[in-house]
Amino acid sequence: MTTTTQFKVLEQNHPRVDAYEKVTGRATYASDVYLPGMLACKLLPSTRNHARIVSIDTSAAAALPGVRCVITGTDFPDIRFGSGALRDRYVMPREVVNFVGEPVAAVAADDEATAQEAIDLIKVEYEDIPSVVNPLAAMGEGAASVHPDLESYEGYGFTLGHNVSTLLDADRGDVEQAFRDADVVVEDVYRSQGINQGFLEPMACVADVEPSGRLVIYASTQGPYQIRAGLAAVLEIPVSRIRVVPMELGGGFGAKLRLAFEAFPALLAMRTGRPVKLVNTREEVFTMNGPRLPVTNYIRSGVMNDGTIVAREAYTIFDVGAYLGAGPNSGIGHGIGAYRIPNFRLRSYGVYTNKIYVGSYRASGVADMTFAVESHMDHIAHQIGMDAYDLRLHNALREGDVSVSGAVVPSNGLIETLEAIKEKIDWPRQLEDGHGLGLALCEWRSGSGPSTAAISVNDDGTVSLLTGSTDISGSDTSLAAIAAEALGIPMGSVVVAKRDTDMAPYTGQSGGSRVVYSQGTAVQRAAEETVQKLIALAAERLGVPEDALGCEDGRVYVMDNEPQGLTFAQLAAASITSRGGPIIGTASLSSMPYTPVFAAQAAEVKVDRGTGQVKVLRYIQAQDVGVAINPMAVEGQLDGGVVQGIGRALTEDQQFDPDTGAVRNPSFASYLMPLAIDLPESEVVLIKVPAEDGPFGARAVAEPPGFGPPAAIANAVYDAVGVRVKQLPLSGERVLAALNGDYDDIPFDVEALRLAEGII
Amino acid sequence: MARFDYLEPHSVDEALQMLAEHGDKTRLVAGSTDFLVRWRTGVWRPESVVCMQHVPGLDYINWNPDDGLSIGAMASVQDIELNTEVRSRYPALAAGATSFAGVQVRNLATVAGNICNASPAGDTLPALLAYNAQCRIIGPSGERSLPLDELFVGPGRTALAAGEILTEIRLPPPAPNTGGLYIKHSPRGAMDISAVGVASVVSLNDDGTCASARIALGSVAPTPLRAYGAEGRLVSQTPDAANIAEAARLASQSCNPIADVRSGADYRREMVRVLTERTLQHGVATAGDTPSFDDIRRLAVQTAW
Ligand SMILES: Cc1cc2nc3c(=O)[nH]c(=O)nc-3n(C[C@H](O)[C@H](O)[C@H](O)COP(=O)(O)OP(=O)(O)OC[C@H]3O[C@@H](n4cnc5c(N)ncnc54)[C@H](O)[C@@H]3O)c2cc1C
Repeated sequence: MTTTTQFKVLEQNHPRVDAYEKVTGRATYASDVYLPGMLACKLLPSTRNHARIVSIDTSAAAALPGVRCVITGTDFPDIRFGSGALRDRYVMPREVVNFVGEPVAAVAADDEATAQEAIDLIKVEYEDIPSVVNPLAAMGEGAASVHPDLESYEGYGFTLGHNVSTLLDADRGDVEQAFRDADVVVEDVYRSQGINQGFLEPMACVADVEPSGRLVIYASTQGPYQIRAGLAAVLEIPVSRIRVVPMELGGGFGAKLRLAFEAFPALLAMRTGRPVKLVNTREEVFTMNGPRLPVTNYIRSGVMNDGTIVAREAYTIFDVGAYLGAGPNSGIGHGIGAYRIPNFRLRSYGVYTNKIYVGSYRASGVADMTFAVESHMDHIAHQIGMDAYDLRLHNALREGDVSVSGAVVPSNGLIETLEAIKEKIDWPRQLEDGHGLGLALCEWRSGSGPSTAAISVNDDGTVSLLTGSTDISGSDTSLAAIAAEALGIPMGSVVVAKRDTDMAPYTGQSGGSRVVYSQGTAVQRAAEETVQKLIALAAERLGVPEDALGCEDGRVYVMDNEPQGLTFAQLAAASITSRGGPIIGTASLSSMPYTPVFAAQAAEVKVDRGTGQVKVLRYIQAQDVGVAINPMAVEGQLDGGVVQGIGRALTEDQQFDPDTGAVRNPSFASYLMPLAIDLPESEVVLIKVPAEDGPFGARAVAEPPGFGPPAAIANAVYDAVGVRVKQLPLSGERVLAALNGDYDDIPFDVEALRLAEGII
Repeated sequence: MARFDYLEPHSVDEALQMLAEHGDKTRLVAGSTDFLVRWRTGVWRPESVVCMQHVPGLDYINWNPDDGLSIGAMASVQDIELNTEVRSRYPALAAGATSFAGVQVRNLATVAGNICNASPAGDTLPALLAYNAQCRIIGPSGERSLPLDELFVGPGRTALAAGEILTEIRLPPPAPNTGGLYIKHSPRGAMDISAVGVASVVSLNDDGTCASARIALGSVAPTPLRAYGAEGRLVSQTPDAANIAEAARLASQSCNPIADVRSGADYRREMVRVLTERTLQHGVATAGDTPSFDDIRRLAVQTAW
């Protein structure tokens, strides 16, 4: 097993490879792209949440001086696309709009102001059709249909229920019997709110058509190949006719994984033959690009008096809005949490409503599930009179257990993370009135997906690293560190190439905690292949067998006679005229074994009994990272995740009009992300139980930190003042209502869902 | 593109002339922090702006024991926050200023602009009301003076006539044994619009009874307003817990909040009660003292007591 002391590059802090560009303001973002003759694009949002488009009159807009082109839905091929198998969406609606804000026309003009003026001149006549906004109501047979022809859509599997887009399920054991055998049954309903990803850089892209007719897209994206695929689908052109250039990414958090608005400037550029730029306003980001939508979670457990959980039933309703812009959740298993539960029935519904479509956000759905599961764990503990920490420890997954997906749990640091926070926050502890402690346990897996890397050795002894992943939160720096470690050269000797979809091999998106883990593994393997080739060449030149050679510090040497050897520079120069040619190491992989990630978190809060407001005084997280590739980047991920989680717990709340589904707070003045002043000092413990797979034993780190805060804080509020708030965010208003006893449980007709499945 | 001409007067007289000449097609701006937001969203689209930034001598904050505090029209909210006389003699106003936006906005925003913008949520307004502010106004037909209380007509609407400029705000010197505080209620510790704001200023007699109590409420009615009924309940009374609680209850009944994305109406009303109680208690406890600014700041913006 790997131990951390042997590393020369990893486990040490490295400034980002792009630090200089970023700090000097010279990094180029999509909105910094200026091409000769470039036009500006603006979009017309729908004002209705469900309506037939009777007519769109673009004549006045088209006649405005400076306007070069106006397009509507019917200018695109009559093709539906989707984020996954289900194709439920036109890139621009042709006949029916499904949410307020849905773009129904786009204009390209000489400048942005003229484009906006033209947008204001477009007249759309709508004919309203019945709509539905509440997902629980939408599942009822009498409710309006968001997609009346859903069953005819490509990719629709089988009838799942009214307005239901997706249904995930997982079953094990004899659930009914286990509930009958249980000493205590605990049942709860939780609800979490809509959440905006809150990235800094609004969506932006520039489309250009090369003289050859190829389309070039400069975009702010986490998934250049996914944009390419999406564009190819909706424009009906081959992927080989499209080049996507990912620019610097000013934050994405899942919102920029797929095709967003790139098709509009693309078609406008194809029509006008001129480059077209679209930079969204913050309001457009809030009202047009998929956020996370509210989730309702029914959860029931059967528990023995000694704390053993023997049965779990969970029904989760994910509002997916108008379209399945992203899978509603990141896997059904999160209804179990990080625990061994022998009997379970888990259901997760994605339900259409007439509001903005759902998008991805930092492990979509898992934070919602964790809020429910980890609040429920505390509820169980109080019901059976057991310490909440002991209950978690008693039921925690251990090596050799079988996960929900059926994979065997490999060695991991779950127990160590629990022990670390127990010690650090000094649990259990009696606090002054209005103060409380709360815990949460988070589980996730390291992400896989197509990963590719190529390393070539330069004749000055440095290497060039080419991958298809766009840099996200410093992932380029971590990939460079992995390459450097595997090659035995310093960080400064790795040049990370800027890339696009023409140049780099196909790669999955930068998201889902997969870049450093999977892409990093590809880099490690490419580096190992590079080393092998360097050794082979050295063996040839030095006339010694390969196994007599070592490779260290940028040099291949004879192990018995260290002064005898060749540097990478010498080998690179020699390779030019060698039989094997220039040295390139490559690697490619798609799926990686199940490698879980666990984190334990603890909150200390103060509750104001007068206003109901909650202040987080301390927040501690311990996460099993395997190996810290670049510790300060790891800690940055953990800090950022917890900050987002605290926002989710206390202040962030994307609100929707109950009748029209329109976003009620489309601005950072009313969608409140936490500020430095609202946050405690960061307290992070890195647990390092090396993963059996993954580069040098590293696990994914990015996603789990954000899962815990809502539950840990809600549990701490309970500890402080004795009320359990089951709905997010834990606003002063909600907590005060609970303190005053006028807080209703969330209605949830679980019987109807069981009956629909034939379970009585 | 919505464009406007930029007019730059160098004296109040010149500004008055420009306003007279361009009438309702122009808009006076000071720090422009409200103006630019409304212009960008299309709410205000004047043909020109008359920018007061280069009128010299209007950014003063003066104090003397006879006249009290006078604040020039171009004094920024940051100037108020940093001013030592304000901190020691008008702590509720210092609290209003420090609770306001963030430093960058405070550096631009003027107190006069906060008044003339007449948002019920303006953070300096409850304290200014509670200190009995007087407005000095200059217009085409000369100069006049108006109690701040009479200036607010509705959300975004003031009693200023066309072409009039607010040139100075005056706060009378506080009576001896006075204490006060403003608390901004919002989910965030900075950069937020207050969901409720309450300022109380209490002056005590030598025997410990209330010589005067002034309570002003923000964000709970179409304009910031004084809670006169609650104030009356305290005058000549001992400001003990029961009387303060009763005054706080009356204050909460005197407002008329709406429900919006920030909070419900009932919650706002309840917050008026809680914050009135807290600001009064603090005012009584610190009457005659010079509170530390750190305390003022902490109490004004902290999200949980
Ligand atoms: C990011 C941001 C955060 C904010 N946060 C807060 C906050 O926390 N609390 C708060 O209260 N406000 C806040 N505001 C609102 C704004 O900053 C204040 O209302 C500010 O005091 C306005 O002053 P100004 O000098 O910028 O006014 P301007 O924008 O220049 O003018 C505002 C209005 O007042 C009129 N006006 C200005 N001066 C005069 C004068 N001397 N005579 C007559 N009319 C005049 C103008 O014609 C205009 O109608 C915020 C604004 C922004 C952009």
